[in-house]
Amino acid sequence: MSFFKLHKTQFLLVLFSLVLVSCVKGVDLNQREEIALTPDLQVSLLIFDVIGEDFSDPETGEFQAIIRDTVRLEFLDDSYIQDDLSTVEFSFKYTNSFTQPFRNKISFLSETNGVLHVVNFDILAGTKGQPVETNWVEFINNANIDVVKNSIKMVVELQALPNQDPFEGELKFESKGLFSFEF
Amino acid sequence: MRFLYFLLILFAGITSSMGQNKQLLYNVNELPQSLLNNPGSTVNFDGHIGIPLFSKFHISVGSSGLNLYDIFDNSNPDVNKRVSSAIRRLTRNDYFTLHQQLEILSAGWRLNNGQYLSAGVYQEMDMFAYFPKDPALLVNEGNNAYINVPFDFSDVSFTGEILTVYHIGLNKKINDKLTVGVRGKLYSGIFNVESIHNKGLFTTRDDPNTPNFYRHFAENIDVRVNTSGYASLNNSGMTVQQSTADLLKRSFFGGNVGAGIDIGGTYSIRENFRVSASILDIGAVYQQHDIENYLYYGSYATDGIEPLFPDIDPNGNTIPYWDLFEDEVDRNLKDETVHENYTTWRPTKFNAAIEFGFEEMYDVCNYRRTYKRRNFNLIGLHLFGVRRPRTLNFALTAYYDRKFRNNFRAKIAYTVDDYSFTNVGLLVSKRFNKFNMFLAADNLFGYLNLAKSQNAALQFGLQFIFNKQ
Repeated sequence: MSFFKLHKTQFLLVLFSLVLVSCVKGVDLNQREEIALTPDLQVSLLIFDVIGEDFSDPETGEFQAIIRDTVRLEFLDDSYIQDDLSTVEFSFKYTNSFTQPFRNKISFLSETNGVLHVVNFDILAGTKGQPVETNWVEFINNANIDVVKNSIKMVVELQALPNQDPFEGELKFESKGLFSFEF
Repeated sequence: MRFLYFLLILFAGITSSMGQNKQLLYNVNELPQSLLNNPGSTVNFDGHIGIPLFSKFHISVGSSGLNLYDIFDNSNPDVNKRVSSAIRRLTRNDYFTLHQQLEILSAGWRLNNGQYLSAGVYQEMDMFAYFPKDPALLVNEGNNAYINVPFDFSDVSFTGEILTVYHIGLNKKINDKLTVGVRGKLYSGIFNVESIHNKGLFTTRDDPNTPNFYRHFAENIDVRVNTSGYASLNNSGMTVQQSTADLLKRSFFGGNVGAGIDIGGTYSIRENFRVSASILDIGAVYQQHDIENYLYYGSYATDGIEPLFPDIDPNGNTIPYWDLFEDEVDRNLKDETVHENYTTWRPTKFNAAIEFGFEEMYDVCNYRRTYKRRNFNLIGLHLFGVRRPRTLNFALTAYYDRKFRNNFRAKIAYTVDDYSFTNVGLLVSKRFNKFNMFLAADNLFGYLNLAKSQNAALQFGLQFIFNKQ
């Protein structure tokens, strides 16, 4: 009589035991609470391209040194921003072929137009043949992230700083935000 | 996000790359369940009745490239690093499976003409999903590290179904060498979800010829998720009892129906040398009740929002830049829910095996027996394949099948598939007079620590088997 014939019951028991007494070792399932997805999303924001005529009063046609525009950024009110946004790095770039410098003021406003954050910097003068770039990076860390979460409008204000030269040229604006999340 | 967690946690657990492969039951011709793997297998009994709900239960869960330990290794506290590493390591052709079968009724008997008729009802669930590599990368890492690299939405491909199968099969011994069989099936769909043949790219480019730092492109997006049997449960507000009653109704052809066929045969080249093959579930289900299809399609590119200075239009009204932007996106990238019938093809399987016997048995001569096992030992090679949305997935098994005495048999199998080279499985079948029970488990070594297991599948069954003496 073979070994297996003698021990067939034990054979069955071993198989049952392996299945029933199987175990999970070397893992800590509580770590699932720590799992966080941390995407960094590059998002294009505003662009514009202004020329001398844009600094004319639409009604009178007279030169006005300051122009501004407001854009609502509704996505700032979405739940993934409100709950999971960690930091934001805004990047702004002007390319100026005016021979005049400009003063830039970008404001983040709440629904009630409360000013939550302002980015001020000067835009260097260029020339028609050699436009000059002005770059600015504004980092909003996690401690201050509420200024972004509570914002809903972005206002761009440009102040021309005239000189003796003719007010001619092109001012291009580029902007993006690097939104870092922790879901 | 939570869906990704769900995928990672659920499928990292127990892994089996071939959820539909039932290699341990194939060619075990003393078990009626072998006929479900090959309707043309040799049948060496004259009747069977399964214990209702217990005649066969099979479950396997798995992933081709991930196990629990990969994520939750307790010797390394940085779980997020391991999640990111897993997402980067897995490919779009890695997949997750969840497969389950429960035989509800099963019976068979030999007709006067010697043919064996078998019939039954079983419930089946089959879930299959390729790893959505690019969308997972986008969700986990964002686009910052992937400027100019497209995220491909064709990586999203999954199917899932729960159905009841009513079947009747006929097994006929043509001559001493050839046995053939066929099984007709009617499918009663309970639930179905399908999202295959998706396409589309999302890319963030830093082309210097564009007016902003980046331009975002959504190109030729065409994503479709078909569902049946989902909308009513999701939206109806039914109680658990009402939902249960509804599911039972669908099990009895109250929902979506289909038909299919299994074919198979066994050919004895010599008395101790056989080849066999079968094709299972050549069929489809026509999904026409409780349908909802979710569509996302279109193309769009944006550099951002462009204010016009001043921020009022000629009529003195504020220009709603954001609303205009959203309207433009909605015009170009459609998000629709429709109700269109669709047809789903069953995941067709095929089996092919060669088997060689040795150590001849000297059984009591009985000419009434259609087939009689002639060898104590059988060794064989078994090739299994299943059709999945992108490819056929294969598994190759070598096995040794030993009959110790008339009432006890065991089969040990070693299976190699796309991702596992350590799968050793064991089947034992024990008969107590006319009552038979079997238990089969894949990847026995994996049970020592399921966290590191790449394969695990379990099946068992209880039935009465009769022989005319």
